[in-house]
Amino acid sequence: MRPALSRRSFFETTAGGFAGLALGQALAAEAADGQVIHHRPKAKRVIQLFMNGGVSQMDTFDHKPALDGLNGKKFDPGDGRLVESVTKSPGFKVLKSPFGFRQHGDCGRWVSDVLPHMASIVDDLAFLMSMNSPTNVHGLGSYMQNTGFTLPGFPCMGAWISYALGRINQNLPEFIVLPDPNGLPYNNHGNFTSGFLPAQHQGTVIDASDDQPVRYLFPPKEANHIHPASEAASREVLQALNARHMARTPGDSRLDARIRSLMMAARMQLSVPELFDLKSESPAVLKLYGADNKTTADFAKRCILGRRMLERGVRFIQIWSGAGGPSNNWDNHANIHSELPHMTRQVDQPITALIKDLKARGMLEDTLVVWTTEFGRMPFSQGQAGRDHNGGTFVTWLAGGGTQGGSSFGESDRWGWKSENGTTSHDMFATILHLLGIDHEKLTVRHNGIDRRLTDVHGHVVREIVA
Amino acid sequence: MSRCVVSQLLFLLLGLSCGSAIGGEKNADPWWAIQPLTRPELPKKNTQHPGWAEHPIDRFVAAMHTEKGLSPAPAADSQTFIRRATFNLTGLPPTPGEVEAFANDPSLEATKRLIDRLLASPRYGERWARHWMDVVHYAETHGHDEDAIRENAWPYRDWLIESFNNDKPYARFVREQIAGDVLFPEDPAATRGIGFLATGPWDESSQMGISDGTIDKKIAQYLDRDDMIATVMSTFVSTTVHCARCHDHKFDPVSLEDYYSLQAVFAGVDKVDRPFDADARLAKRRALLLSRQRTLGQGEVPEGMFTNADLAQLEAELKRSQADWAILSPAVVESSSGIEFEAKPDGSFLALGQAPEKDTTTFTAKLPISGVTALQLDVLTDESLPQNGPGRAENGNLHLTDFVVRVNGKAVNIDKAEADFNQSDWTIDRAIDTNPDSAWGIHPQEGQPHRALFVFEKPLAASKGDEIRIELHQLHGRKHLIGRPRLSLTNRENPDFNKPISIQISTILKTSREKRSKEQKHALAFYFAKAVNEREMASLGTQNKVYAVASQFTALGNFKPAQKPRAVHVLHRGSIHTPGKLARPGALSCVDGLESRFTIARAEAEEDRRAALAHWLTDDRNVLLWRSIVNRVWHYHFGRGIVGTPNDFGRMGDRPSHPELLDWLAYEFRARGGSLKWLHRTIMTSSVYRQQSAHNEVFAASDADNRWLWRMNRKRLDAESYRDSVLQLAGNMNWEMGGPSDRQFNMSKGVHVTPTLDYIGFDPDAPANHRRSVYRFVFRTIPDPLMQLMDCPDASQHAPRRESSVTALQALAMLNNRFLVRQSERLAKRLEREADSPIAQVNRLFRLVYHREPAPDESRLVSQLAREHGLANACRVVLNSNEFLFVN
Repeated sequence: MRPALSRRSFFETTAGGFAGLALGQALAAEAADGQVIHHRPKAKRVIQLFMNGGVSQMDTFDHKPALDGLNGKKFDPGDGRLVESVTKSPGFKVLKSPFGFRQHGDCGRWVSDVLPHMASIVDDLAFLMSMNSPTNVHGLGSYMQNTGFTLPGFPCMGAWISYALGRINQNLPEFIVLPDPNGLPYNNHGNFTSGFLPAQHQGTVIDASDDQPVRYLFPPKEANHIHPASEAASREVLQALNARHMARTPGDSRLDARIRSLMMAARMQLSVPELFDLKSESPAVLKLYGADNKTTADFAKRCILGRRMLERGVRFIQIWSGAGGPSNNWDNHANIHSELPHMTRQVDQPITALIKDLKARGMLEDTLVVWTTEFGRMPFSQGQAGRDHNGGTFVTWLAGGGTQGGSSFGESDRWGWKSENGTTSHDMFATILHLLGIDHEKLTVRHNGIDRRLTDVHGHVVREIVA
Repeated sequence: MSRCVVSQLLFLLLGLSCGSAIGGEKNADPWWAIQPLTRPELPKKNTQHPGWAEHPIDRFVAAMHTEKGLSPAPAADSQTFIRRATFNLTGLPPTPGEVEAFANDPSLEATKRLIDRLLASPRYGERWARHWMDVVHYAETHGHDEDAIRENAWPYRDWLIESFNNDKPYARFVREQIAGDVLFPEDPAATRGIGFLATGPWDESSQMGISDGTIDKKIAQYLDRDDMIATVMSTFVSTTVHCARCHDHKFDPVSLEDYYSLQAVFAGVDKVDRPFDADARLAKRRALLLSRQRTLGQGEVPEGMFTNADLAQLEAELKRSQADWAILSPAVVESSSGIEFEAKPDGSFLALGQAPEKDTTTFTAKLPISGVTALQLDVLTDESLPQNGPGRAENGNLHLTDFVVRVNGKAVNIDKAEADFNQSDWTIDRAIDTNPDSAWGIHPQEGQPHRALFVFEKPLAASKGDEIRIELHQLHGRKHLIGRPRLSLTNRENPDFNKPISIQISTILKTSREKRSKEQKHALAFYFAKAVNEREMASLGTQNKVYAVASQFTALGNFKPAQKPRAVHVLHRGSIHTPGKLARPGALSCVDGLESRFTIARAEAEEDRRAALAHWLTDDRNVLLWRSIVNRVWHYHFGRGIVGTPNDFGRMGDRPSHPELLDWLAYEFRARGGSLKWLHRTIMTSSVYRQQSAHNEVFAASDADNRWLWRMNRKRLDAESYRDSVLQLAGNMNWEMGGPSDRQFNMSKGVHVTPTLDYIGFDPDAPANHRRSVYRFVFRTIPDPLMQLMDCPDASQHAPRRESSVTALQALAMLNNRFLVRQSERLAKRLEREADSPIAQVNRLFRLVYHREPAPDESRLVSQLAREHGLANACRVVLNSNEFLFVN
């Protein structure tokens, strides 16, 4: 099944004027909503918060009191099971969490003291308590959580969703990525690629800290001959030339689509600056997100922008915390006690505020919020008090968009080393697509001989966390 | 709900969805792509449409028109045709002069001449190499997380361009890409062809970071070979063999074992820089010198290298060069820490007493000769020194932090320094860098005398008898002092001071020939052999390199050469945990007449495996190969192949629209020696190709996709053609071919391995912007945003066809990209130079970009814009118009 492909093929072919489509129908391809709906959707749009580097599960949400008694002892899961780590973890000495844990909310979710804000909204969150990944390497792990494959070149979730559902809005991109201003994540743009899907579904990367956050939105500053009056005149002449050309070469819907794309480009020039203008946000909202505080200001600003994009009909937004590389992210090899709070302090309040804000505006119902990372960390120490990568088990949560607040599914073993009963990125993707009204097994595109899916040949909807 | 347990994880990592692969049920539905290739009968002539009755291509296509109730479009006019043909073959627009000349000669001969001219242009190779680079997912970085740069990927790109331009026979073109290093010893530059095997991504963090022998490492190796196999089989035989990684399909002619047989072909290689020589003579010479080097490495003198007369002559020359050295003695020796020295009869000075931590020893003497060009420092051994010296540190080492020479009180500039031996990271040049933290050392060669040489920038102006002072700064501490220095001087002109001869050799030279021991004779011959061989090696220059595959290379961290083929097992369900039997090198079992498993004489020679695959692929009976390439070429001419999925001739791929035409082309192409230029000529002289692209409502209703070719397809310019056209039109193209790629970005250090790139801030006037886009540096995980928005494919995936999207972001990028805005200003400048009035300038603009005169209203509109807002704005509008962006 590839319903989207046939309807959109005119955009995707290099050959001329596959003009079987009526003009209006053709235009719908960049405009329409709900192209591949298999059942009634609960969510319309998605905002994903990606914690780059591998969040330590046993220091945040996966409380493991068993580690306390074993602290400092050699980690031994028994049965002669092989204990490996990708970098060096001399002695495999168990490291208990240095943070206090308490139960929160009606659901009684255990949360460590490093996330005081999120702890206050656990009844709105649906937890996948034991995600697992086949790899312990950042690049491969990031690909797995973004595309469902460990190899490069596969379309990411945002691209698939954009491809399946099309546009809601007429003047902003449908899939926007807000990387950490310190740099791109592991795999760089590989995480936002449309792979073999048409290029229009790739993530539009916006540098929120730049004075021209959307590339190419306006003419270059050095071009003195281009100004509002010249732009208006130029647009008119371009329109006239294109209209004459189309009159001479009728029947090719791409020519009209391009004329429309120029109009949309002009609208984007108006809508994007408005989107980035936070002056209309109330002081209370700015404070709620922590935009007034140096530690939280950047992530708060990006979360507020994310909410504004959701309001304006952007289909899929991805906000990253942490750049690639060995530090200033969630890859806490050296010292969990100092490195983890450095990160949680930046995101805890803004993320909590985002959920509260969406809820207050009545948007949480049909907006799915997803909090993810590429893998977890080991129950034993690395160096003095750090932890190495662990694809064995980690925590992801979802909120809104038809998920059941306060629910959870999955369980790690008593050390937080591997899944006892777990889920994979494919299960997460299947669930997200399900909430968007898409059957993950039916959303396929043929590429190089294989019907490709976001969920590869795997994936099951985690019904336990669906409302 | 899948509850993935640990044992399945690795399956997940290796496993890809294998919904279906090539082929169908063997008995029920014979798979068209592997049927024997025969020359189909030409359909009978249909004279209904003039010009469609002769050319075989037209007859095949016309027959389907008749069957489907369609009829062809009229021939395109000359302006349309020359634009189409020029873009198709060169990726560039024709010039106004070319358009005019062609319009004036409507004969078919003129069309043939035009095609021949375009095929003879070097621009042709550049254009078609770029197509090929899409298919093979060429880029110049590794991809993955640690996306490092490949400095030597480009020689493969140059090889592609040359191959297309030279119309290399297709079978040879294929063979060079699989085993060019093995099969063509007469042409070592064919090694560049195997750059093909390394075009894909490479997982540096897994390959270099993870320990050898671990499961994770093995997985990385299997996956790396998977990329090579997928590239080979998709590109050459349009077979999606990678589908058989986990299991063979019940109805599949590609078995799991076939897949792992292909893995075994590449079991001995990894992706790495590979050295090669530009020609055979050089390669042969280098091979000889390298074999001598190996012999020398075992301490032996290569047999037959010298006659006795040679040796005598070398000795005489060496003696002459040594005779010119004057020992600096007597001299006044002073020590900053009060060391006493004893003058020895050989002119050296032996340090006495307790060694201090540090010292600066100064020699002051009268110059024994004039016009001194160089100074030599011997550090000699002595029984009184620790471990016999020559240093005074516990282990006999020394550290010379700085070597300073003054004549008549003025410092002398030292140009270069050489030593007979350098401690790693403590080389002799550090003794003249004036940095007190760096020094020359000789560890671990303590216990032997050593020699360092200092060459002055220019001969000393001072004469014999003037004062020279030499300071030996030894400030590293821990008694790293010279125990027994000796200094000597020379005034030889242009001294050949490559390496100073050792004290041992000096001693032998001073011993008369008869009195030399056997060992001494050997040592001297060995010395000459080594020196001569090194000199000759150096004269060959460094080898070229291409990023390709190799079984021998210097290890990089945990990335180590295979040396010989690694064991490849048939992995059940694609899992590293369930290895089956050892895989034998081979290929597909389903191609009639070809052996599926190779007979390899030398089991340990990985190159024999690749050679066998090269022969298997290019066998006349490999019908997949011949069908695949003619379809690919057809695809680029028409925007759609006869088979719509150029990389997939399988059951789940498209079926040929005109199977007999495909077979006729494949058969004739093979019969004509695999000449791609013949194929272009044949396709482009057909009436099918020369049709208009005009719409026909009635035909579109039954065949919207134009599968039956009742008109030509209109194409949007691809990113490279667009960019190159703009450069050509603005008069800024630098036509220089080949060499390292142009980096059209500012690059700075990234947080980790991958650098940070800035495309937007890159100077639009930088020369790197001005060559053809085929020379553009393609960075896998940080692609150029403009090119990406114009559908340049993700270079981590094979891209047998380009998408052609139309989006608002693309429109903005084309309008506002700094490079394009600058080029429209340049185009305006050009128009101002070439035409006087605004009307004439707009006229010229239309001729250049649209190849036609403007209509009166167009002329009025555009010249009004030029008058009110400048010609550059008018140029920008025209360069963003649909008429420019689409090719009829």
